[in-house]
Amino acid sequence: MNNSFKSQIGKLPGYILVLLWCIFTFVVIGWIFAASFSTSRDIFSGDMFASGIILENYVKAWFANNVSMYFINSMLYTFSAIAGVLLISAPCAYALSRFVFKGNKIIQNMFISTMGIPSIMIILPLFALFTSLRLTNSRWMLIILYICINVPFTVFFLMAFFRNLSPAFEEAAAIDGCGPIKTFWTIMMPLAQPGIVTVTIFNFITIWNEYFMSMIFASRTELRPVAVGLFTMVQSMRYTGDWAGMFAAVVIVFLPTFILYIFLSEKIIAGVTGGAIKG
Amino acid sequence: MKKSKTMLAVFIAPAVLTFLIAFLYPIIRTVYMSFFALENVTDKMDTWSFVGTENFITLFTQSPLYVQSMSNITRIWLIGGAGVFVTALLFSAILTSGIRFKSFFRAVIYLPNVVSAVAMGTMWVQYVYNPRFGLVSTVLNFLGFKELAQTQLTSPAYVFYALMIAYSFGMVGYFLLIFVAAIDGIPFDYFEAATIEGANFFNRFFSITLPLIAENIRTCIVLWSVAVVNFFAWSMVFSPLQPENGTVSPVVYMYQLVFGSNIMSTVQRNVGVGAAVGVTLSLFVIVIFGATSFIFRKYKVEY
Repeated sequence: MNNSFKSQIGKLPGYILVLLWCIFTFVVIGWIFAASFSTSRDIFSGDMFASGIILENYVKAWFANNVSMYFINSMLYTFSAIAGVLLISAPCAYALSRFVFKGNKIIQNMFISTMGIPSIMIILPLFALFTSLRLTNSRWMLIILYICINVPFTVFFLMAFFRNLSPAFEEAAAIDGCGPIKTFWTIMMPLAQPGIVTVTIFNFITIWNEYFMSMIFASRTELRPVAVGLFTMVQSMRYTGDWAGMFAAVVIVFLPTFILYIFLSEKIIAGVTGGAIKG
Repeated sequence: MKKSKTMLAVFIAPAVLTFLIAFLYPIIRTVYMSFFALENVTDKMDTWSFVGTENFITLFTQSPLYVQSMSNITRIWLIGGAGVFVTALLFSAILTSGIRFKSFFRAVIYLPNVVSAVAMGTMWVQYVYNPRFGLVSTVLNFLGFKELAQTQLTSPAYVFYALMIAYSFGMVGYFLLIFVAAIDGIPFDYFEAATIEGANFFNRFFSITLPLIAENIRTCIVLWSVAVVNFFAWSMVFSPLQPENGTVSPVVYMYQLVFGSNIMSTVQRNVGVGAAVGVTLSLFVIVIFGATSFIFRKYKVEY
């Protein structure tokens, strides 16, 4: 495309609009970040760093306000669930994209249709089910739940990657006497690695940020992940008036996915637009 | 490769099983439940009493908060949706017009989608809308609107619009990504030919871009509807203590009805009504899915 100076001038209104939008985003995040190193009094007075840069907010949020516990819970839920999702989804995606059999299309449509189902449709019976299995108030429950609800999207996403792999690999493996299951784990999985990495990033972001299900299923404080933990913390800080501490908690919660995004934004963006549909 | 039934089962069964347990069974049971009255979600099925369509009638005639919540999400869907789609389309047209730093702009606009909704919502409520030190009031003060800057933007009079703007702001990036990819997929000769014929930016956008990405717009309308129907975290962040008229969503209503400690005292706890809320939301999505399929049926494109 023509990128000469003159043609760029004509695009000035476009630049201004997009730039304003980006500046707004930076100001909001930058301000929250700055405020998390300030004190509540300085935030109100408008002179953010009158008392210098304060690290105490983080120490307080991390230790006194249980953020460390929520953080470890979220880590545990997220890593267990993304491993479980992959273990269940990858073989299925492979089989659906590779083998012709009766019901293949039906299973595919089944998985795709779940993306339009409001989560409110599934939680009441699941709550009853988990209660009857005596799984409520255990970490397993949230892990199982997160695995189950993320399988359909992961299968759907990975199918596209397996479809693009040449069948020559399997043929060669079969000639060498390698069984289908071994072929899949030792040959096809490593080949589909780009897709697996992308879908795992998506699942990480989704599960880390998940709020609705954990709000209902993790009623006990010690089981809460960061999103619910932050929500409770913001409530209590309204009464204690510890604004700086609250902003520190916000930063701790958004930092993991934010850092991931800074390093992997190209991959994430390519994943959203590569026929996949998830935010 | 040789395939056997056992091998297929090994590959596919676990995933299908999760689908049956976490989706099919709960959906059927929720629909069934919506025709019954039961006090607790854990009640055994044989204690449920059949009430026909009474739960739905209760929702629409005796639950002003539910009606309000449906009105809220419908307005977010319509007004917020119009804003989100116009902005996302405009920005995608700008980003694909050959400007520099396209990837950077795109990445920044998409950013809110990777951050926890609770964290995003807290930033808006506690900072952007704060009348003491917030962004909006600072800007208004700077521009000389001292009176206006004192406005409590999260007060009942304005909270609905405050919520809608905050939520829509983040969603723009998501649809922008899809639109930009769709526009990048249009063969460049189409635009070139039109430019040679004298078409300007707007001609090209309305006569080439829009019709060719209509299919993507339709997908995004469905995705938007699903997102709006699931509206929960933002409502909670804007009204953390109890549901308010300006921010309540159907899922919040259901949550308070079935799991809440501060139950709306006038209504007796009936989980069947909660299930009925889910059914009405599913119908909302199905109707929009059907309607958009019909409206956009002419716009299938292949290059």
